[in-house]
Amino acid sequence: MNFAGSQLEAVLADVRRGMIPAHVYGDPQIFALERDRLFARSWVFLAHESEIPDPGDYVVRRVLADSFIVARDESGAVRVMFNMCLHRGMQVCRAEMGNASHFRCPYHAWTYRNDGSLTGLPFHAEAYGGEDGFPREGQSLLPAPAMGIHNGLIFISLDPGAPPLPEYLGDFAFYLDFYTRQSPAGVELRGPQRWRVKANWKIGAENFAGDSYHTPHTHASVVDIGLFREPKASKRKEGALYVAGPGVGTTYKLPPGGDFASQLRYVGYPDAMIPAMAASWSAGQRALIADSGFMVSAATLFPNLSLVHNWPQIDERGTVAPFISLRQWQPVSERETEVLSWFAVDAAAPEAFKRDSYKAYLMCFGSSGMFEQDDVENWVSITEMAAGSMARRLRLNSRMGLTSAGQPIKPPLATFAGPGVAYQGFGEFNQRHWLRQWSDHLEDPR
Amino acid sequence: MTARPLPYGDPAHQAAHQFLVEEAALLDAADYSGWLDLLCEDIRYLMPVRVTTARGAGFDSLADMGHFDEDMYALRKRVQRLATDHAWTEDPPSRTRHFVTNVRTFRNEPGARAEFLVESAVLLFRSRGDTREADLVSAGRADLLRETGAGLRLARREITVDEAVLRTQNLAVFL
Ligand code: FES
Ligand SMILES: [Fe+2]
Repeated sequence: MNFAGSQLEAVLADVRRGMIPAHVYGDPQIFALERDRLFARSWVFLAHESEIPDPGDYVVRRVLADSFIVARDESGAVRVMFNMCLHRGMQVCRAEMGNASHFRCPYHAWTYRNDGSLTGLPFHAEAYGGEDGFPREGQSLLPAPAMGIHNGLIFISLDPGAPPLPEYLGDFAFYLDFYTRQSPAGVELRGPQRWRVKANWKIGAENFAGDSYHTPHTHASVVDIGLFREPKASKRKEGALYVAGPGVGTTYKLPPGGDFASQLRYVGYPDAMIPAMAASWSAGQRALIADSGFMVSAATLFPNLSLVHNWPQIDERGTVAPFISLRQWQPVSERETEVLSWFAVDAAAPEAFKRDSYKAYLMCFGSSGMFEQDDVENWVSITEMAAGSMARRLRLNSRMGLTSAGQPIKPPLATFAGPGVAYQGFGEFNQRHWLRQWSDHLEDPR
Repeated sequence: MTARPLPYGDPAHQAAHQFLVEEAALLDAADYSGWLDLLCEDIRYLMPVRVTTARGAGFDSLADMGHFDEDMYALRKRVQRLATDHAWTEDPPSRTRHFVTNVRTFRNEPGARAEFLVESAVLLFRSRGDTREADLVSAGRADLLRETGAGLRLARREITVDEAVLRTQNLAVFL
């Protein structure tokens, strides 16, 4: 690393005071540090259990350049294995999904069971002298150094010393449930849509983390066309922003005077789903909706998993249907990101609801979504601007919500039922929290 | 498809081919309201997500997930949005060219209503800004064209995109 320590220190000091050196959104040296110090250590989302429901089901996913097979083995356990053959390093599985009891390497046909164990080795006796020369016992594709599952969400860390996943998720688990545990059946994921954008991966992560400020302008067009029942863009400033453990998110303020069921009905959940939501969520989770009057919307779990919940009108009659999407900002380089965007829906929801919710998702987010279209245009442009020399002289002001002395311009919400700290109105508290975690990783040479 | 395509000299084939070429001209001129006029009210406009699977897997696209799965309401909203002053992703607009080729026309079950199955290939060239690299999107299309009093109209389109990971920043375009 030829990025001098003092240079990095200066960058991180600026980031921590909310003045972000613009080049971090297009700098190959920063990207190398992100690879080595952030993605090599952090918990990273790979897949959801619903994508591999049956024994033998698998998907292939990456953490940057590292390919992993995420499989359900014959005993029903989830396995995450580095997709590189033990013999000469061929990529063992080159499909991105399917069902297989075994994976056979295309090069010399070493064969692995779907739990990763090496079972087949051609000419074992002649080439290796059998078990004596090469004992197959105990040989297996390299397992992910650490793996954890929460609400069916499968995460791995490349750091075997990573804290246990529940400890890492901490207070953010409270908020994850709104997206991924609306009933005991849990959520099912469809997709992902995948596409590559010429944008730095951090920009999307920060946007979903807390940029309610962009909605009135960037997304003016979806309001213009009446995709929402109310002029939602300006409503954005009544929402609360929360910081909770490794996650941060945004909410919408619900209409005054509602109770738990009426508020869920208001955002389009059918009566058939509401009892399961009431039973599935804690008193505190119910109170966030019923008493505090907030409904979760966009959020980001550090580093690169974002979630979104919104409720457009999906037909001429004005039917309101909520949808959930999970999306991953998979870095390709400092100037390119692969977006993986899943549609998520409660597995126990009525089929008619699933259909409506899917339609709502496609209209709003994903590769063709009308929100996402304008978001990406902005992010590509920032990345282009960040690549030059002048960006090294510019510090982007990310201090919204703070006085010049560094105090919040208004106090945190006293009556917010969720864990963590919440502020009502616009602010960049969430992006700064996300960037602080980013800075902590980048400065740690370990 | 087991049936033979209509001979290229068949008037039905020629009408179908001309429909696709004229449709492409409307799209490249960004005349989206003109484009909507070519669609049946019961249109289904579909673009499944393609995936990389083993040869024997029996599928190479997702049955339950698309890039598009649109009815007339959704398409109208998309077109209305592009017509607002706030659709930033297309302002400045992309320069696009839809190259339509490999057109084959099949008569839909003899005796049924006057509909034709039309298969075609489309290559979309999309250039944005002055210096960005241009995008290409290659796809096959299976269309259902319906004869109406006002001429042929598109009743269904299934777009089989040729990439698992799209290399264009969004689908603020139609194929
Ligand atoms: S590289 Fe896989 S068997 Fe040789
Ligand atoms: Fe946005």
